[in-house]
Amino acid sequence: MMLSLRVRQPRQPASAHGRVIRTLATGIAVGLAVSMSGCSAAGSATSGMSGKTVKMFTWVGNSDESAQWTAYINGGKLADPSLSVNFSGPAIGSYYTKLPTQLQGTDAPCIVTLQNGQLAPYVNALEPLDAYMKEKGVNVGDYDPSMIKQLSSGGHVYALPYDAEPMVVYYNKKLFAAAGVKAPALDWTTADFLAAAKKTTRNGVYGFAIGQGIGAVGNFLAANNENYVSNDGKADLSNAALETRFQWLIDLARVYKVSQPLEASGGTFPDIDEFGSGQAAMFINGTWDLVHEQGMIGAHNLGVAVVPSDNGQPHGSIAGTGYAMTKSCSDKKAAFAAIAAMTSSKSEQSVAKSRSQVPSRADSLGAWQSSVGPEAAAVVKVLTANGQVGATATNGNEINTLFTQYEVDGFSGKSTAAEVLKDVSAGLGQ
Amino acid sequence: MAVSSSPLTAGSTRGPRKAGRRRTIGTGSWQGWLFVAPGLLGLILFVIAPLIGSLVLGFFNYSLIGGGTFTGFHNFVALVHDPLFLNSLVVTTIFVAVYTPLNILLSLSMALWLRTRLAGKAGLRVLFLIPALSPMVANAAVFRLILQQNGALNDALRMIGIGPIPWLSSGSWALTAIILVSLWQSFGYNMIVLSAGLDSISPDVIEAAKLDGAGSFRRLFSVTLPLLSPSVFFATVLTVIGSWQVFVQAYIITGGGPGQSTTTIVMYLYETAFSYDQLGYASAIAAALFVIIALTTLVQVWGQKKWVHYD
Repeated sequence: MMLSLRVRQPRQPASAHGRVIRTLATGIAVGLAVSMSGCSAAGSATSGMSGKTVKMFTWVGNSDESAQWTAYINGGKLADPSLSVNFSGPAIGSYYTKLPTQLQGTDAPCIVTLQNGQLAPYVNALEPLDAYMKEKGVNVGDYDPSMIKQLSSGGHVYALPYDAEPMVVYYNKKLFAAAGVKAPALDWTTADFLAAAKKTTRNGVYGFAIGQGIGAVGNFLAANNENYVSNDGKADLSNAALETRFQWLIDLARVYKVSQPLEASGGTFPDIDEFGSGQAAMFINGTWDLVHEQGMIGAHNLGVAVVPSDNGQPHGSIAGTGYAMTKSCSDKKAAFAAIAAMTSSKSEQSVAKSRSQVPSRADSLGAWQSSVGPEAAAVVKVLTANGQVGATATNGNEINTLFTQYEVDGFSGKSTAAEVLKDVSAGLGQ
Repeated sequence: MAVSSSPLTAGSTRGPRKAGRRRTIGTGSWQGWLFVAPGLLGLILFVIAPLIGSLVLGFFNYSLIGGGTFTGFHNFVALVHDPLFLNSLVVTTIFVAVYTPLNILLSLSMALWLRTRLAGKAGLRVLFLIPALSPMVANAAVFRLILQQNGALNDALRMIGIGPIPWLSSGSWALTAIILVSLWQSFGYNMIVLSAGLDSISPDVIEAAKLDGAGSFRRLFSVTLPLLSPSVFFATVLTVIGSWQVFVQAYIITGGGPGQSTTTIVMYLYETAFSYDQLGYASAIAAALFVIIALTTLVQVWGQKKWVHYD
């Protein structure tokens, strides 16, 4: 009997272990299947909708951005009273990092916002809008053609823009007056800009705040009708103009001492901080920042000027954002109706008046011009008359990340502009 | 006698029950598995499955938006030739090699100091632990401002005739800053672990050493530290594992710059996965990091035989 027990006892646990192992294996398989399906099974019967409310994923970094989206939704209600959109999202600094995950989630939003130059990485998860536009009678010709070009791919429109805004120089009128510098003329040159920066650099204040990333160089390239990116999205980092403009930017800090040298920093906007806190007399940003800057230094104190060019005839660098619809959206008609409403004349005119954003529709520009005053209107008129949405590199995020890291070596004196660009180039395509 | 035919009596005729055949709760192995099932399920779903999934992804050219194609060992081979990955490996190795001993030394010194007859040592212990309990992101954001060229730290150093130090403009200083901030943030945790270890040392042993004529240094190095070695080993293993995974400090304070001087392995992994949408390659980096951490930990476990005393 004892022998029998001894023989049988090990068998029972062995059998139990076998079952457990099989259960574990099944569990792992199911777990993997669930996790993998979670990665790919975007979309469900209610994906992107909350009842009849369309979900929108966008950047909401502060109360000002939240107010902007609310303004577009309220404006859209003027065109379509039944419009119902709710929005959520991170700050712009991490928006494009989180967007792919959102697009592949089981409850992906119906609408996402994309800036010009950001369409290519996400196009596979987006729905072409052409058929919906045709059905709803939305005319693509009503929108800024350069923005439409930037938000299209393979002959299809993937997003409708709500704005088309030039990059401008914001300046602090009080600091200019204190330094005895006249307001910039519409045809001021790079030399005029430098002279103004030199004079306003005093009492611990810098004349010009330099922004992080390759876009800061791009502003001056665009003003001089130069670009380092070809129309098919290939970046040439050995471009002579890019090198020259970047070296000049470095020299603003190191040679002319009119700017604070850039330091290493993760995901910040030192130029916005410097200007907003009165530590810099000028900086460059899009007109979408107008209301925010008015709030920071006072509407009466905020001046707007064109980005200077060598010959005094600047080309505008237009940037903007569009609403795109996700493939996984469960109610695409409702989502497109929301996009159409938020980019309608009524909506854009409403927002142009309340928030001074330059509309993407030509029929709404009048409302904007009358709301921002003569100086900003004249500046934008010059820049848009001679402006374009510059081509952006298909690997723009990678270039910008590396450039932001390496440019510090230029501002610290460790490397020249050419060396920095060489380092960036070497880091690409790994 | 009729009573003798009662059910009780009848039952007794069946003979005694075989105690060994009775199944009671807690004697079978399946009950054990039942108890560990919730934790095991969590481990499988949230650790093992993602780990295997990540490893599998390493064999694909995979993007969240564009799907994937099988590329075999291409990602792993590419890692060996990727100067950015190799740079991140060097940066992280320097961080581990400098930060870990400094952390253990600082936390051990503080733990020993707080064991002396010090007024308010309970309060100090809490004070030193606060950085470890506060969010790293918030701390890093504050340190980014403090470390700027015109920041508070350089202002303070200027008052004593030092600097300004290019904390965020020079590669070596930036890595130094990351190490110092990490030390400030984390030494409190190890200090508590080592304090608990010191408290568990019997005073009798120390007293006996005193009676034997051992001085304070001899007592420290020949009695206290050997008896504390299991706690030191525990703290070292966890600190090394955490060090290999350093991310937030570099991401927030320096963004990996200047150049690639503070781009750690996890930061490079993060950029590759979420900025460049190369999930397959990022998974290969994750697998490499897993191997590095596993090997480092194995070496430590093997090496403990020479210096950790459990008696």
